[in-house]
Amino acid sequence: MSALAKYRHAFLLGLQSNIVYRWNFAIRALFSLFHLAFVFILWGAAYKGQTQIGGFDLDQTLTYFVLLLVMQFFIGAFNEDYQISEEIRNGLINQFLLKPINYYGYRFSIFIAARSVSGLLALLPIIVVLPLLKDHLVFPHEGWRLGLGLPAMVMAAFIQFTIAYCFGLLAFWFLEIQSFIILSLAVETVLGGQMFPLDLMPPWFFHLSQWLPYYYQMYFPTAIFTGRLDMSSALSGLALQAFWVVALLGIARLLWTRGLRRHTAVGG
Amino acid sequence: MTLLSYVKIWLACARYSIVRTMMFRFDFLMWALVEFGWMAVNLLLIAVIYRHTDDIAGWTKYQMLLLVGTSMLVQRFIMGFFWSNLFEMARNIRSGHFDFFLAQPGSPLFMVSTRKLDLDGIANSFVAMAVVAYAIDKLGLAPSFIDLALYALLVLCGVLINYGALLMIVSLTFWLGAAQGIEGSYFTMMEFSRLPRETFRGAANVIFVWILPAVIVSNVPARALLHGFEPHNAVWLLATTALWLGLGIAVFNRGLRRYASASS
Repeated sequence: MSALAKYRHAFLLGLQSNIVYRWNFAIRALFSLFHLAFVFILWGAAYKGQTQIGGFDLDQTLTYFVLLLVMQFFIGAFNEDYQISEEIRNGLINQFLLKPINYYGYRFSIFIAARSVSGLLALLPIIVVLPLLKDHLVFPHEGWRLGLGLPAMVMAAFIQFTIAYCFGLLAFWFLEIQSFIILSLAVETVLGGQMFPLDLMPPWFFHLSQWLPYYYQMYFPTAIFTGRLDMSSALSGLALQAFWVVALLGIARLLWTRGLRRHTAVGG
Repeated sequence: MTLLSYVKIWLACARYSIVRTMMFRFDFLMWALVEFGWMAVNLLLIAVIYRHTDDIAGWTKYQMLLLVGTSMLVQRFIMGFFWSNLFEMARNIRSGHFDFFLAQPGSPLFMVSTRKLDLDGIANSFVAMAVVAYAIDKLGLAPSFIDLALYALLVLCGVLINYGALLMIVSLTFWLGAAQGIEGSYFTMMEFSRLPRETFRGAANVIFVWILPAVIVSNVPARALLHGFEPHNAVWLLATTALWLGLGIAVFNRGLRRYASASS
């Protein structure tokens, strides 16, 4: 079997098993519409009496949040960390040690499958409320934004998944990792720009955040698409993002080899 | 059973929870940190928005802080006293372990709701109190003892409303066999409790202010500290408390009649 065929099968398997959870995704997408309502109400009120906040008008800010939401369902890690930690704990991981398949590659194939399903499902409620939204959606028209935004999105998916993967591997060392995950989610929520666009932070903080991987998870691609970054910062950002992809892959590799040394393969 | 025996049972459960927490100290520390981290995220949102604006629907930064602190206080109490109990109730109904509560003397509702305390939630309620106290100080308010007592009473109403609503959702497990999205729906609703009532207009006003008790649980207590006691708001909150608590208990009792255990 060719190398690619293995992972294509993993992808197809992932597609099937995630379609089973379509209702979970649908419910989740519905709740995120409520979150969007919260965002619209809060920012709508904050903009009363002024047309610009941080150099952007209300519609530009709302567009940022709508796109962020879509982005989360297409490239965000949901519970991959938990699934991986469960496979380690249950000993299911042992079978991968005997087979000629790379565990990261296998997991990543399933991740792509899962996001294809959840991303498409998340579009449904967005389409339903589109008549209400469409007057608020404003995208810049420059073509380079698409050219740089798409690779940024792909690398963002890698960063998202690899961070989740690393957290999952912590199960080699710790019995319970759920609290680590939710705590790091709080950090990601802020530094990834999901709570507010990072450019609204004080300049020193905004610059600092650009050196961290979280910046490249959500904020970076979303900001390119919605016009919050100019071309030069997008280009230099892409370089740093590529660095983080490589660095995180290295960390994942290190955790995997070190973790396996501790692993005793009980049960399975 | 007399009231005294209920108090004794509650104290025994509390003692058990404390002993258990002390056994898993690292876990307690981590979860307390998790909650604290999320509270910090929400405070940061306020800080960032007020860097760029002076008021949101007429609420200044520290008034908003008081509101968010109040919302946190209500939520921490729910987390500390009721959350895991209700969450486990859903699981127990599915698995049949719920029998265990029915076999105990005393009201099943009391037994189910008070079995466990989450000390991390209770610990963080002090953080929420500190946020409220800080806001009071910054606003230069000087609430009297009576003002504070009334505030505490209104916060208690907020907690009971949330408890009733949660109990109702969880009791649906008696019929549905699953209560998916309890967490999601609750945390999504609580988001709206961090917004001033004045920001809601049109359909949002009808849904989140009038139909769902999302906004008033925090707004009414916070307003009482900011603008003095407003009887009409207090009456509104009390009536809402009676309604949601009643609804929760009614659905629970109906569900109880339907419960037929699960085969083991």
